[in-house]
Formats: sequence, C-alpha cells, structure tokens
Amino acid sequence: MMTTMGANFVSTHYLANSLVQPVMRAQSQLTTAMTELSTGQYADLGLQLGDQSGYELSLKEQVQQLQALTTGNSVVASTMSTAQNALTSIATSAQTTMQNLAGWTPGSIGAGSQLQLSGQTALQDLISSANATSGDVYVFGRINSSGPPMADYYSPASAAKTAVDQAFQTEFGCLPTDAAAANITAAKMQSFLIGPFATLFSGTNWTTDWSSASSTNTTAEIAQGQTVTTSTSTTPTASTATDPNPAPTAFQRLAEAYTMLAEFGGSQLSSAAQQAVVTTAQPLILQGQTSLTNTQAALGATQSQVTDANNAMSSQLTILQDQLGNFDNVNATTTAAQITRLTNQIQMAYELTSRLSQLNLAQYLPA
Amino acid sequence: MSLSTAFNVISSAFSVNAAQTAVVSNNIANAGTPGYSREIANVVTNGFGGADVASVTRVANAALLEQVTSSTSQAATQQAISAGLSTLAQTVNDSWSASSTSGANQNGASPSAMLANLQSALTTYADSPTSSSAADAVVTAAQNVTQSLKAGDAAVNQVREQADQDMASSVSKINSLLSQFAAANNAVVIGLKTGANVSSAEDTRDSIVTQLAQQIGVSTTIDTNPKDQACGSESIYTDSGVTLFQDTARTVSFTPTSTYADGVIGNAVTVDGVPITGAASPMPIQSGALAGYAALRDTLAPQYQAQLDQIAGGLINAFAETGPSGSLTPLPGLFTTPSLFSTPGATPPSMSATTGLGAAIEVNPKVDPSQGGDPTKLRDGGINSPAYVTNPGTIANGTPDTSYTGGLQQLISQINATPKGGFDTSAGLSSSSSLANYTNASVSWLQGENQQASNNADYQNALATQATSALSNATGVNLDAEMTNMLNLENTYESTAKLLTTVTTMFSSLLQAA
Repeated sequence: MMTTMGANFVSTHYLANSLVQPVMRAQSQLTTAMTELSTGQYADLGLQLGDQSGYELSLKEQVQQLQALTTGNSVVASTMSTAQNALTSIATSAQTTMQNLAGWTPGSIGAGSQLQLSGQTALQDLISSANATSGDVYVFGRINSSGPPMADYYSPASAAKTAVDQAFQTEFGCLPTDAAAANITAAKMQSFLIGPFATLFSGTNWTTDWSSASSTNTTAEIAQGQTVTTSTSTTPTASTATDPNPAPTAFQRLAEAYTMLAEFGGSQLSSAAQQAVVTTAQPLILQGQTSLTNTQAALGATQSQVTDANNAMSSQLTILQDQLGNFDNVNATTTAAQITRLTNQIQMAYELTSRLSQLNLAQYLPA
Repeated sequence: MSLSTAFNVISSAFSVNAAQTAVVSNNIANAGTPGYSREIANVVTNGFGGADVASVTRVANAALLEQVTSSTSQAATQQAISAGLSTLAQTVNDSWSASSTSGANQNGASPSAMLANLQSALTTYADSPTSSSAADAVVTAAQNVTQSLKAGDAAVNQVREQADQDMASSVSKINSLLSQFAAANNAVVIGLKTGANVSSAEDTRDSIVTQLAQQIGVSTTIDTNPKDQACGSESIYTDSGVTLFQDTARTVSFTPTSTYADGVIGNAVTVDGVPITGAASPMPIQSGALAGYAALRDTLAPQYQAQLDQIAGGLINAFAETGPSGSLTPLPGLFTTPSLFSTPGATPPSMSATTGLGAAIEVNPKVDPSQGGDPTKLRDGGINSPAYVTNPGTIANGTPDTSYTGGLQQLISQINATPKGGFDTSAGLSSSSSLANYTNASVSWLQGENQQASNNADYQNALATQATSALSNATGVNLDAEMTNMLNLENTYESTAKLLTTVTTMFSSLLQAA
C-alpha cells in the first residue's frame, strides 16, 4: 500500500493548498483588469510596454510638439492677418489718392490745399497703418517690435519734417510756405524732388528719420522643420550678397509721394511747380501700389502655408493619437470578458475548496 | 512449530503493529507540515517466522529538492531586482497621465516628459517672444526638468540604500540559518551513528536549505562514505562554488553603507574573506535575493543614475552659450550647477565626466526671476557676459529687438541634436542620440529591464511552485492512504488479538487435558 507512488500519489498538503495560488493569481489579475476597464488604459503601462516605452513617449512628444506648433501658428496667423489688413487699408488710401490726383486740375481754386489735404490724409493713414499692432507686437517692426516702426511725421519733434524743411531750405534758400517759393520753376522743383528730396527716403536717412523697424525678418517654425518668414516691414530687408540693394518698400515710396503732396501742395509754389509735384508723385504711388500688391501676395502665400501646415499637422495628430491609443488603450471587450472569466474561475475555486474539504475518509468511516 | 513459537510470532506482530501505527500517526500528524517527508516502516520476516520493523525509511527526492531550491533562488533574485526597478520605474511611469495629451503639456514626472514640456515652452516663447509670461514659463519648465532629474537621482540612491539594507538583513538571515543548519546536521550525524531516527532532523535540514535558497543560490552534497567520521553530514556551497558549510558554518560578513550618492561603491559580501558579490569577486553568486540586491545596488541602479547624469550633462552642454557667432568659449546657459555657477568662466563638463550632475543640475539663477534673474536673457543671450548677447538690437544700440527669435530657435534645435562629443557609452545607451531621444531611450532601458525582471520573477515563481508541488506529491502525506493503512493495522491488530485468544484457549485446553 505504502508503495503507491508516481502520478497517482497526491499529498494532502498539496491537495489542500493547490487552489490557493491560482486563486491569488486570479484575484491579482482581477484587480488589474478592473482598473484597466475603468480607465481604459493599461494599469501599468511601463511594465506592459517594457523597452517600447521610449517609443511610446516619443509619440506623445510628437503629439505635444504638434499641438504646441498649432497653438503657436494661431499667434503667427493673427499677426499676419493684422499686417494684411493694414496693407489693404494702405492700398485703399493709395487708390483714393491716385483718384484725387487724377481729378486734380492745376490752377483751379483751392487746388493747392486740395493736394495738401490729400497728401496729409494719406500720410497719416500710412503712418497709423504702418504702426498697426497685434497683441503687444508692432506687426511691421520685424524683430524690433517693441515700438512703433514708423515715426509720426506730425509730431512736433519729427526728425523727418525737420529734414524735409532743411533740404528745401538748402536747395531754394526759403521754406515752401515762404512767398519766395513762388519763383521756383517746375524744372527746378522736379530736380529737387528726384534729387535731394528723394534721398531723404532711402538708405540711412529712412532708417534714422522714418523707420525704426529692424532689417531682420522674424521667422516662425510653423511645422516641424518648416520655418517661414512671417514679417514684412517699413524698412527694406538687410542687404545680402545676392541682393546688395534691396528694393525700397511700399512704405518708402508712398511716404515720399505723400510727403511731397502734403508739404509742397498747399505752399506758395506756382501752378507749374505744383504740377511737377503731382507728376512726380503719381509714378511713385503707382510703384508703391505694385510693391504693396507683391507684399500682400507674399504674405498671403505665407498665410496659406500656415493654414496648410495646420491641416497637415491636424491629420498627423489624428494618426499619432491612433498609434498612441494602440499602445496605451486596452480593448474594453477583451477586458470585460477577462473579468467574467476570472470571476468564474475564482467562484469555481471556492466551490472546489469547500468540496475538497469534504473529501476526507474519516467522515465516511463508522465511529 | 510449538505453541510457544506462536506466542513469539503474536508478540512480534503486536510490536510491528505498534511501530507501524506510530509511523502512520506521525505521518497523519504531519500531513499539513510543509516540507515534511512521509515515513515508511520497512517490515521484514524474522527468524521465528514473525515480523520485525527493520527500519523506517524517509521518502526523500534529492533531484526535486534541488529543483525547488534552484527555482526558489532564481525567483528570489528576479523578485529583488523587480522590486527595486519598479521603484525606479515610478519616477518615469507617466501612464496615468496618458489621457492628458490633449493639452500642450504632459503631466507625469519623467525627465522625458519634462524635456518635452520644456521644448513646448520654448516653442511657445519663440512664437510670442515679447511675452514675459512665456519667458517665465520656459524657466518653470526648465525647473521641472531639473526637479525630475533630481527626483530620479534621489530614487536611485534610495533604491541603492534599500538594497544595501536588504543585503545586510539577508546576510544576517544566512548566518542564522547556517548556525541552525549546523545543529540539525550534527543531530543527523550523531543519530546515524547511534541508530536513532533522524528523519525529523533531515526534514529540518531540507527546510533550512530551502530557506537558505531564498537568500542565496546554493548546492549541497552529502557525505555517504560510511568510513568517514562525518558520514551523513551535508555540505552547502554557493552556486558559484564558495563553501558555506562543511562540518562547521562559515562566516558570511558584510559591512553596510548607510548613505549612497552618485559614485559611491557599496561593500562586497564576503565568505571567509572571499568576496561573493561585486566586480572584484572571483566567484560571484548567481542567484538568491542577495544576488538580486547586489545586482540592483552595484549594476542596474548605478547604470540608470549614469544615464540621468548623461542627460543632465547633455542639457548643460546643449543650452550653453557660445555668443552671436557661436565661436566663443561655451559657458553654462539655462542649465548649470552650483559649482559651475560660483566659478565664473567655468566651462560645462565634458560628456565623459558627468558623475553627480543629475543631482547637482539647476536652472541658472541669472535667468530665474524668483532669484532676481532675467528670463529674457534666454531670448537675447548674454547670461554670462555682454559679449554673449545675440540679440542684434542690443548689439547695435543697447535696446533688444523684442521679436528676435534666432536664439530661441537655436535652443529648440539643440534639444533635437546630439550634445557635443556625444553621449558616453558607459551608461549603456547609444552615443549619437539626440537629447530628446536619449531621455526616451533611458526610459525604454529602465522599463525594459523592469519588464524583464518582472516576467522572469513570474516565470521562476511558477517554476518554484511547480517544483514544490512535485516535491510535495513525491514526498508528502496522503491522508486517505494513511487512513487506509490505519484501518489495515486495526484489522491486523484485531486478527492478532483473535489469534492470541485462540492460542490461549488452546493452551488452556492443553493444560486441562493434562
């Protein structure tokens, strides 16, 4: 009897305890499964993913980075749309001025003050539009956005106004408002306007008296690895090896045209000299308008780049979040089924334990 | 055969019955004792035709016992490692915050997530360079990065201190078990000489070996040469072959180290002066909780600490200032350490000398508004001296261009670049990763080790359970079998009693007839 061994022999100690371990394991699995069912995610993601954890983190970081870029793009977009609006308003004002000049008749009553008023209004519009802000940023200041990029010509301390008066004085020995100015011929006026007067609106004269904007563009990373120039400005871009003499900005040309109208229109100048002012101003405004159109088109292209980048990032985000979901999320159906299975298993184990305790020969032997 | 011979047979039957009953009772009494090996009374016919209990055999199974001890040791090693690594993994496990990816910031605490937050903060600042709150947010994000590294570093030290304490308590358990073993072994050796029943002492020995296997991987041999003085004595060796017990217990010694910091090396465990843990050990132990604690304290935790140090060194180098043309001597920028900060002109440490940086790294006080610093220096440069200013406005006329972002974009690109000189490969990760990828790889490494240890622990535990069951089935007691034996013995007793009555009656008849 004692020799009964091998597979048929089961120790009572093992029999009594054989169910303890499986029940404990099932219980711990049950708590995990219940946590996972309630959160929808693995209870211990790190333990679940192991050395895939870093990859999962890098997906999360990409998502985060895309979201940060998208948020940043809204700031960029708002700055550019402010600039676009300001440019539109400048274009409208240039259009109005052109119409005024086309309808202007030399020698008519009040012809001079008409010119002057038209020039002043347009110049004031130009300055206020150039100093448009978005948030606390002057949009035409490029990287120097803390102050108004275009100096106010009509402030008492205007360096530009002083420079214009000085140039006139040097050329003709009097001020435009002096009676002596009436003697200036159209030819002389014209050569002054395209000579000494024009230089006031270019080079360092422009950046000293008129524009404090930086020549360095602002750039923004609108998508991963995609950086665009987001600014346009009152100051031409810095000269570079490929472009040693960057084209004057619309602001320069318009300011030049408007200033000559405002300063010399209502002055003592003769009709012929006024005519010379108008004929010099007209092509400048036209050039300014062309330049404005180009600037607006370039800005619009960048704006659509931002929109495109946002759309691309949005679809990228969806894909990334799907991928993340594959890593992080448990299948609710599988987990629910697992819980049912574990619960059944534990119940059966309890049942068996109570039955096993009945399986005792002593109970069946007569006393 | 005479009637008196019959009496002798009856008498032997009674004594055999009593001996067998004693064995059965002993078996039944120990049915629930873990590790008890059942006994079998070997009955042989004696010279008178009766029966004698020649010996009592203890059912043992050395092969299964060895399986139990070795799988127990392996499971204990992996459990010790897994417990330590999961403590470390807590510092990088951001799984509970995974649902927060809808926001621009990640919750959690891992250096990886904090670095990603810093990058987001820099991106936001680059998009709104005039915003002072965006600048402050960068400093806060940078502080979170340093906090995270410091927390990781502290967790490593704590895990190492805990492992050191566990090693000390493991060593004291081993010594106590060895002295208990000496007593049990002595009882077996003497018992065998005097012919006493040594089963119980042998059970005790086996049970001590199993407990010992929890702490340290062991193998055993038993001297079976009857000519030997110490015949029956069991010797214990570590799984690497160092003697723990041979006739007498060897002394296992260990001097604990109470405080761990980066670079502190713990003491080795020695047996009779021979180190059995650590790099200097000629015969390092392979398994048991002690081996697990030692691996954790001496290899795994320090390696993770080295990775944290590399990340800190990478950050200090990546954010170092090099001036407007990038050609000036690099000096600490956003990240520095107290010693670098207090030494003007000190250059960031090279990537091969980063020990201790994980604990020391801090945000440069010169950009921290709460310490009187100016966070806009991140945008404009010049944290170290005016020569390091990069903002063209400041260089030209002393007034910074407030929408200048070149410096910030440079910083962002540094996060996704490899620090100068590359990462040191001694930390176990690729040297050419970008800073962001390196922090991710570090998390992967830690979680990978953690997962592996946890899986191994599960597997070895299952093996140990299986081996224990098999051993219990091979050597344990089955109550039903013992009860059946008991009934059998009862019947034998009853029959023998009947026989006695019959023989007595026969004697009486014989005497009356005479």
